[in-house]
Amino acid sequence: MMSVFDAAWVIARRDFVASVFSRSFILFLIAPLLLFGFLLFAAGMAGEAERDASRPVVALVADSDTVARLEGARDELATATSEQSFPLLRAVAPAENLVAQARWLLADQEAGYSAVFTGTLDQPVLIGPAQVDFHVGTRIRLIVDRARRTAALEAAGVEVPPVPIRRIVTGQAAGNLQMLRRQLAGSAQGLIFGVSLMLSTLLLSNLVEEKSNKVIEVLAAAVPLDAVFFGKLIAMLGISGVGLTLWGGMLASGYLFWQVLADWVALPQVSPAVGWSPFAILLLLYYCANFMLLGALFLGIGAQASNIREIQTVSMPVTLLQVGVFLLAMTVIGRDTGALTWFAYIFPFSSPMAMVAHAAKHETLWPHLLALSWHATWVFVIVRGSARLFRRTVLKSSADGAFFSLAAFRRGRAG
Amino acid sequence: MASVLAIEAQGLFKSFDGKPAVQGIDIAIPEGSIYGILGPNGAGKTTTLRMLLGIIEPDGGRRALLGHERPLDAARIVGYLPEERGLYPAMATREAIAFMGALRGLPLDVGRRRAEILLRENGLGDYVDKPIKSLSKGMAQTIQLFGTIVHKPKLVVLDEPFSGLDPINQGRLEHLIREEAAAGTTIIFSTHVIAHAERLCERIAIIVGGRIRFEGLVAEARDRLRPQVRLRTRQAEGSWHSALPADARPVEGVWEFELPGDGIEPLLKVLIAGGAGIEELSIERPGLHDAFVVIAGEAAAREMANGATERAGAAA
Repeated sequence: MMSVFDAAWVIARRDFVASVFSRSFILFLIAPLLLFGFLLFAAGMAGEAERDASRPVVALVADSDTVARLEGARDELATATSEQSFPLLRAVAPAENLVAQARWLLADQEAGYSAVFTGTLDQPVLIGPAQVDFHVGTRIRLIVDRARRTAALEAAGVEVPPVPIRRIVTGQAAGNLQMLRRQLAGSAQGLIFGVSLMLSTLLLSNLVEEKSNKVIEVLAAAVPLDAVFFGKLIAMLGISGVGLTLWGGMLASGYLFWQVLADWVALPQVSPAVGWSPFAILLLLYYCANFMLLGALFLGIGAQASNIREIQTVSMPVTLLQVGVFLLAMTVIGRDTGALTWFAYIFPFSSPMAMVAHAAKHETLWPHLLALSWHATWVFVIVRGSARLFRRTVLKSSADGAFFSLAAFRRGRAG
Repeated sequence: MASVLAIEAQGLFKSFDGKPAVQGIDIAIPEGSIYGILGPNGAGKTTTLRMLLGIIEPDGGRRALLGHERPLDAARIVGYLPEERGLYPAMATREAIAFMGALRGLPLDVGRRRAEILLRENGLGDYVDKPIKSLSKGMAQTIQLFGTIVHKPKLVVLDEPFSGLDPINQGRLEHLIREEAAAGTTIIFSTHVIAHAERLCERIAIIVGGRIRFEGLVAEARDRLRPQVRLRTRQAEGSWHSALPADARPVEGVWEFELPGDGIEPLLKVLIAGGAGIEELSIERPGLHDAFVVIAGEAAAREMANGATERAGAAA
């Protein structure tokens, strides 16, 4: 008979060809691009308006000098930090009854004021609900303080010109490097998580076709069930590889094009702890490991479902499981020790994402060899378990052979 | 591994959810023979075949397929057509056949070449690149059968191969089975339709309620019944009348009875001497259907006939 690997290759080849050469595969390829493009477009369109709309507006009901000083101070502070950090100020001509005017301004739905500033720089009054104390009150205090200081200096005839800071450029600062590497670790985890999340439904429903059109009987009579499961996993990995190559290629081209437009091709200033080349290889390997681990689990779960309705039912718990695993893996980004960190490294489903973060943060390579072996072992265990469960519950048969016999596995003994 | 038996099973036992489906089945199928498994719905035919092929493991007993205790070890030289046909609808016919061969270790390019030959030789040359979903049910079934034999197996197992086929395709399938058997392939098939087994098989097993009621040559099954004698005489009464066997009964003017143990000659002498005036005398060997009724019982025979009618209706 064929070995499990040969048989898995036959299954994988058929699944890969059937998927990649189907019309729906084009949809599969362009869907994430459309989604990404749509998100960018929507973010671009809505961004500015949304940012302005979500910023509090404070009505300045004061004399023109106070208004001018407050606006000047606000602009200086916003320029030095960020425009988003300070409320918008809008001057309103004072009425006779200031209290009544403030009440009327706060009730004006169209203008949308969060608070009203009245009085002078020396006797400022902020009228508004208690909820605005943090986002508006503290900022207005900063603005008033700066305006008062500027006014006092002007009155005293003192000029305080800005002092240029002499810049001494060094290599990476440890703190900065750690921060950037943590960001890199988070991005790598997010990439693995995002792609796996997109493909999880495909994996869940992967055996439904064989069950619904009765091909499973033909397969089970010809090859070990382990080979069927492995073949399907490999095919899906290949299919995701085609997608990743296309999506990644387009993103990389876009990035380079943007860089060329900027007249310079700049590589990121920070490198992961293991270096870019080993990191790229490890990222790929951990993506594969994560895909194979979760894929084996989802394939096993999906194999128990008898129709698409059941698949849909288990989709939500599976998504929640993925999110949970992702959150667990994220714990290693900020810390290096502790029970939760170790658990994230060891727990098979969070381990690939945790280890890719490890590669971004730490130089040592040998733990990756250990981790990848650990992942391979678990893929073997899950596939074997899934195949046996399938045999028991779907085919209503016991499985012969020892669970952990590698020789038997190679020959397809127990599946 | 040399063996004179293509399949050997002893004491196969299988139960589902505590209900026994197969209870101690013993089968010995010589290489090169056409072997039929007969039985009504739920008799345990499919379960037996699936255990023989290793799709499910028996709860008890042992089996060997072409000398291999593990059926998957013989997968390269076995072909299997399941009762519930299974094909990928979007696959082209040639690819489907080649894929089934590849599952049995046949290189894809060889499988494609053989598939094309099989399709053309059987008048399906125009369908080489057509997807399975565009074919009729009978055609799709034929494609799956080609997929079952494309790797030139030594043993072909067909589970209810005639079900769902119209008479023309049934005839084609019978022809194909004979051709394969003539080439030395062992064929084992299960069926509801006794006529197919009677026409094709040398040996049969009759399974009822998960147990084998008969296993042996078709001729041996038929020999369970004495040949039937039909006698029509010109004279209705006479001294010869008392010489008729005790089981003789008149049916529309014809006497019917089992051939006496001492043959027909003594009775003939009496009939001639008594002036019965023999108008018609025939000795008919009982058919497999009659043997089945005796072996499996009236109820099983009725159930089997009903099952066959239902399937024929479904095919129509």
